[in-house]
Amino acid sequence: MGLRVLWIISHEGGENASIRFSRRFPTVEHRARSLSGSSYVAVPEDSLILQPLLTELGISSSNKSYVAQRDDCIYRPRSPALELRLDGEKTLWPVLNISQGSLILACLPLVDVPSETRPPLSSLLSVSQGLTLLAGLQTFLLGSGGKPYGDGLISRLEMLPSALLQVCPLGTPLDVPLVGVPTTPAVPIPAGTQKQPAWKTGLHRGRAMVNVAVTETVRSMQYGNQSRQDLWDVYGTVTCKCEVEGVLPNVTVTLSLPPNGSPLQDILVHPCVTSLDSSILTSSSVDNLDGSAFSGPYKFPFSPPLEPFRLCSYTSQVPVPPILGLYQLKEEDNQLRLTASLKLHETVKNNFEYCEAHLPLFNRNQMGGADVKVSFGQVDVSKEKNLLVWALGQKFPKSREVSLEAKINFSGQSPGPCDPLCTGLTAYIKLHFKVPDMTLSGCSVDQHSVQVYSSSKPRIATSRELLCKEYYIWNSTGAAPVSGAQMTT
Amino acid sequence: MAENWYGRMRRFSGGPTRFLSETNVEVFLTELLRELRDDRATFNLKVLLLSPLCEYPDLLCSSDSVGQETALDLMSVFAQCPRKSTQFRSHLLVALTCVLICTSCVRSRSHVALDFLDLLFQVAQDVSDVHNDDTSRSLRATACDCLQEMETCCPGLLSQRLELLSGLRQQETSRLHQVYAGLQTVVLKNAVYQLTQEPGAGAEHLKCLLGGNTSFAWEVDQDAFQTDSKDSAMLSSLIQGSMGMMPTLHTGPDCKELRSVLSSLLEESYLFTPLCQAALLHRLTEVVAMVPGIPPTIFRAQLLRLLGTSEVCLFHATLLMKCAFTDSLFSAEDETFLLKRLLVLSQHPLLSIPEKLFYMDCILHFPENRPISCSDSDEALPVLLTPQLASTLLPTVFNDSATMLARLHLQSLVYLEEGVEESRGLVYLYDHLTSMLNIVESGGSREIVVTFFRAAFLFLLYFSQVHSYCLDLSEQLCRLYLRHTRLAPHLINLANQTQERLPECTWAIGLLRGLQKGITKALLGQLSLQDLSWHLKVLTRVAEEREICQHCSLGFLSSVITTSPLGVGGDWRLGNSFLAVCRRVLLHPTLDSLLIPLADILQHLACYYGDADIQDHARLYYTLLTTVSQEKLAMMLAQEAADNGPQVKKRTLSSLMAENEGLTGALTVHQTETAVLCLTLVSSEGPGESGQLHEKETEDVTDVLEAYRSQFGEPGFMPDVTLKYQLVHKQDQDPRFEQLFNIRLHFVLTDDHYEQLQDINVPCVFKGRPPPVVQLRLKPRQPYPTTLRVSAIFTTQDGFSWHTPLPDVHVAFQQSFLPVPTPPSWSGEARLQLFERLWEEISSETGDCAVSLFCCQLQEAELNVLSHLLLKVRSEVDAVHFSIASDSWQLLPLINSYLLTVTSSQEDTTS
Repeated sequence: MGLRVLWIISHEGGENASIRFSRRFPTVEHRARSLSGSSYVAVPEDSLILQPLLTELGISSSNKSYVAQRDDCIYRPRSPALELRLDGEKTLWPVLNISQGSLILACLPLVDVPSETRPPLSSLLSVSQGLTLLAGLQTFLLGSGGKPYGDGLISRLEMLPSALLQVCPLGTPLDVPLVGVPTTPAVPIPAGTQKQPAWKTGLHRGRAMVNVAVTETVRSMQYGNQSRQDLWDVYGTVTCKCEVEGVLPNVTVTLSLPPNGSPLQDILVHPCVTSLDSSILTSSSVDNLDGSAFSGPYKFPFSPPLEPFRLCSYTSQVPVPPILGLYQLKEEDNQLRLTASLKLHETVKNNFEYCEAHLPLFNRNQMGGADVKVSFGQVDVSKEKNLLVWALGQKFPKSREVSLEAKINFSGQSPGPCDPLCTGLTAYIKLHFKVPDMTLSGCSVDQHSVQVYSSSKPRIATSRELLCKEYYIWNSTGAAPVSGAQMTT
Repeated sequence: MAENWYGRMRRFSGGPTRFLSETNVEVFLTELLRELRDDRATFNLKVLLLSPLCEYPDLLCSSDSVGQETALDLMSVFAQCPRKSTQFRSHLLVALTCVLICTSCVRSRSHVALDFLDLLFQVAQDVSDVHNDDTSRSLRATACDCLQEMETCCPGLLSQRLELLSGLRQQETSRLHQVYAGLQTVVLKNAVYQLTQEPGAGAEHLKCLLGGNTSFAWEVDQDAFQTDSKDSAMLSSLIQGSMGMMPTLHTGPDCKELRSVLSSLLEESYLFTPLCQAALLHRLTEVVAMVPGIPPTIFRAQLLRLLGTSEVCLFHATLLMKCAFTDSLFSAEDETFLLKRLLVLSQHPLLSIPEKLFYMDCILHFPENRPISCSDSDEALPVLLTPQLASTLLPTVFNDSATMLARLHLQSLVYLEEGVEESRGLVYLYDHLTSMLNIVESGGSREIVVTFFRAAFLFLLYFSQVHSYCLDLSEQLCRLYLRHTRLAPHLINLANQTQERLPECTWAIGLLRGLQKGITKALLGQLSLQDLSWHLKVLTRVAEEREICQHCSLGFLSSVITTSPLGVGGDWRLGNSFLAVCRRVLLHPTLDSLLIPLADILQHLACYYGDADIQDHARLYYTLLTTVSQEKLAMMLAQEAADNGPQVKKRTLSSLMAENEGLTGALTVHQTETAVLCLTLVSSEGPGESGQLHEKETEDVTDVLEAYRSQFGEPGFMPDVTLKYQLVHKQDQDPRFEQLFNIRLHFVLTDDHYEQLQDINVPCVFKGRPPPVVQLRLKPRQPYPTTLRVSAIFTTQDGFSWHTPLPDVHVAFQQSFLPVPTPPSWSGEARLQLFERLWEEISSETGDCAVSLFCCQLQEAELNVLSHLLLKVRSEVDAVHFSIASDSWQLLPLINSYLLTVTSSQEDTTS
């Protein structure tokens, strides 16, 4: 177990790459040398690592359309562990990497399984440890929102040596760096008999407070086509922020479903959950739905860390998508005729924080004239972007149905934006909406079901909301790209 | 000074070897350690100064003794450092650990390593260390980390301290109990492993070990670790799948001490960070696997919590546990559950892409309770993975490239097992491939293009036997090519790789035939220069295939050069592309039937092409085609195409070659694989030809020092050091390098202590004849030892030019010595006077000058030029006193080591 080296690299589309930070762990390297004997390949100096890494990531020499080393069609399982080709026949493996924007984080775990051939990644615990550390460092450097630019990054990079002294002093990752200091004052824990969790930096003092938020996200692909099955799925997360006194206070959050609600599936829990009932874990999205499956209530006893955390996540199979759409395009007389309709399902609360439909028409000349009629809402035509934005506001009309008709010609002189996924009649509507105080699965946390074993009466707040992501309605008169149809059902 | 250090540290971390080659390592280390002691330096700077020692201890400490001295220095810095600077003290402990482990001081149980261990235990037990604000861990934690690293690198080192460690962990209630637990677990695992290697060890020994019979002297366990640390098996993980042999310790069921230790560690595991928890579980898995007396069910209580975890390392540790214990801990139901979990995790929207890819890898190496295949590392699908289950991992065009390819790979394995006939899965995969092709066709980015070709290759790799799809793919690719000719290199690469990987499969030929058909039928009027040059690249590749008829290729060429304006334009590159196709056709087995059209093309090029070079080549090819028999022609051309064999071949630049083949071969300078030549020092008649010390009539010199100094003002006076070397062949050389001509030696300095060297020309070096002697004239700026990089360019008998590296030339400190350069007319007396005056001056000056005293048993005096190094040697009763005066104190370490070599050689000769 252990990491031999850690790199943090920034680049601009493969150009101007530079190593912003690197840390070698010579004692792990020392072990690597004794373990691999004659096949040992030393970690090259920083200046020699950039090019092989960028080549393997496929982002080197971005001005050349074909580079044999970079673009060879031979399939090598490239990720999450890269094999870097160094000078001569030597290769460095397994280089783990995480990229976000212009930042690449990479590390080289120790291969401590003797094997004549290359051992599988899954036999090396240092691989998952390396991935965990990289993800933690990424959050430390960029924050969970992921803004990789500016002075924030520089100051974070300066803090890295002392952060690593805490979490990975000698190459063995012990923890991930603390992202922020808890907002409430925490005091050091006085000596006592109860052992303090290593993941808790102090004690909370003051009024007890528990905040539980359920956020569901729905994704959908609708084709409006008899031969193609529409797809949608829902996943939810439960995030908590708990301020409770005590070294190891007990809190229990219970999720419940309405009668006949379909069971929560694929439940994953935070490591602070102390115990789990096996029935909670049984339901899986890869199984066919089983009417007799356990459907709650789902109890999660845990001892909270000081910072906000994701208590659990789940997926759910809901019978219908919240908004059903139909989109049709016709090319006639040098112009494009669009008709679109959206219908809000009756079970969905007609109360949005926002709801917008985006209709991009790419890979054409810029729009000339656009004649747009809608039954409801407002349309903003962006000619430079070849994009119609249909704002539906906070509510659908009483009928819960809205429609749009448009005639557009692309008589502009300059070409509009490009996107190979949106060409000709292969086109889509993309929805963006947020509905407060509802979940599609019906999953909720009752304020009274939150149990806190604490001396003072805690203040408890719960909330829920529905978001959408990757919600596409494809033109039914064109060929939509294939995407993971459930062939088996 | 501090600013200077920041700059130096930046340059160091930018390229440590380069940085160290430009300076003297020992001097650098000395300065570093001195700055660490300096009270004026800030702790921020000092932490920075420790980084070379924390990251590159073996570069700075070239030997164990340097490591020991460095460690001693660091320990004294630690002792003198105020307690409140926890950060710096922690970094110091880390640096010490790195230095001691990497210079093998721990392994060789040097005293300083033992002292450091004592120090670490002292710190680790120091409960008064309460300087524990919330964010920084205490020094105690770092000390434990260091102990853990020492134990990991030298397994068994702390095995006698188990009880102490266990006690420390149990008492601790602050967050620190985690580091004690980590340390205890590593020591426990190594100790149990050691017992498994002892014949006859059993329950009693285990009990003793855990009872921590610390009455064992400290020395005893040192013996233990010295022998055992040689066993690199102890450094590796013991969980290697069902195939690995697990060492076992037979204790019988009676090992309740161990069981209670394990239970208490497991009970507390919940309190650890996920990373530490995973490591702990992994080590305990190894322990339980080695001791059959402990049932694996001891982990049962933790399992549910672990199976539901969202943390990748905890789930991974659970999979490794399954690998070790199979059905003794995991029921068939558990196994099904784990596999389904992996499927869910491999596509979970909340997980990161690398995590999902890792889980997918885990599916391909799923630790089955009853594995059918015995392959150790080959990818094999678990029996439980049905196509229906796997369908959750179907690739889509919305996936990122890596995910898409990994999914396609997995699905291919699934459907390959299922049987490809009538497979709905295969239909899906092919539809997916078509979707991707459509995206490429509508102008997908480079990344999408590359991904598509990789996907196509994967598909062919697994399903080349399904002709209908492969045929269709080939047709679609041809269509794609005609719309996007820039994809030519991708298509050629795909054809090459499928041919190489699937030698039985004729798909590539079909593709090339299709491309040829598409190209030759294209309308010439719409052809751009760009398209044409890609077409010619493809046709060149097509002409390599013996089975493909070349008539239509030639027809196309002919119509391009005769009717298209592009055909005679005179572009040299394009002309070469035409010639490349012709040249390939010259080699084609059906050349006889192609004679007339090819001759027509070559003649047309020779007469009308707008570039003289192309005309000449075309004429040459024409002549060859029309006058040389096909057999001979094939031989001539094939010989060129073949790689340079060991036999020496005469070549001239007028030989038959296409642009990127023989021509480049003859025109470029080739690189030898290994060094061909080397320089060996000719032992000269002692440093500096000091034979002319004879007395001479002396002109009267009033001020010797001034006269001496004034010489340096004269232009061209600069004295140089001449070293003689023989230029000889290295052993076991390729016969073609036996006779070398026109050798030009080039020297590159690795530092700036000397002036640049001139290249040296040597007419020839023949093996078996006396080697030529070359003289290196070094002009020192600083009399430091140095290394010269040497390379040579030479010509071989066959006319090729070669570049070869030579082994580095090392110039030792004493090789840079010169006698004091006095005018030849000076008498011995004047020279003595000069010596005395120099001595006085150096002794009186401050700054860089230094005087030192050294005693030993011999006599020798040297003088150096630009920097002065004066030795006064005085015989005493049983020793010789060396008084050393030098105007550069930085030379002192070098002088020191030089004198040591002198004395040791003296000892060798006297004994």
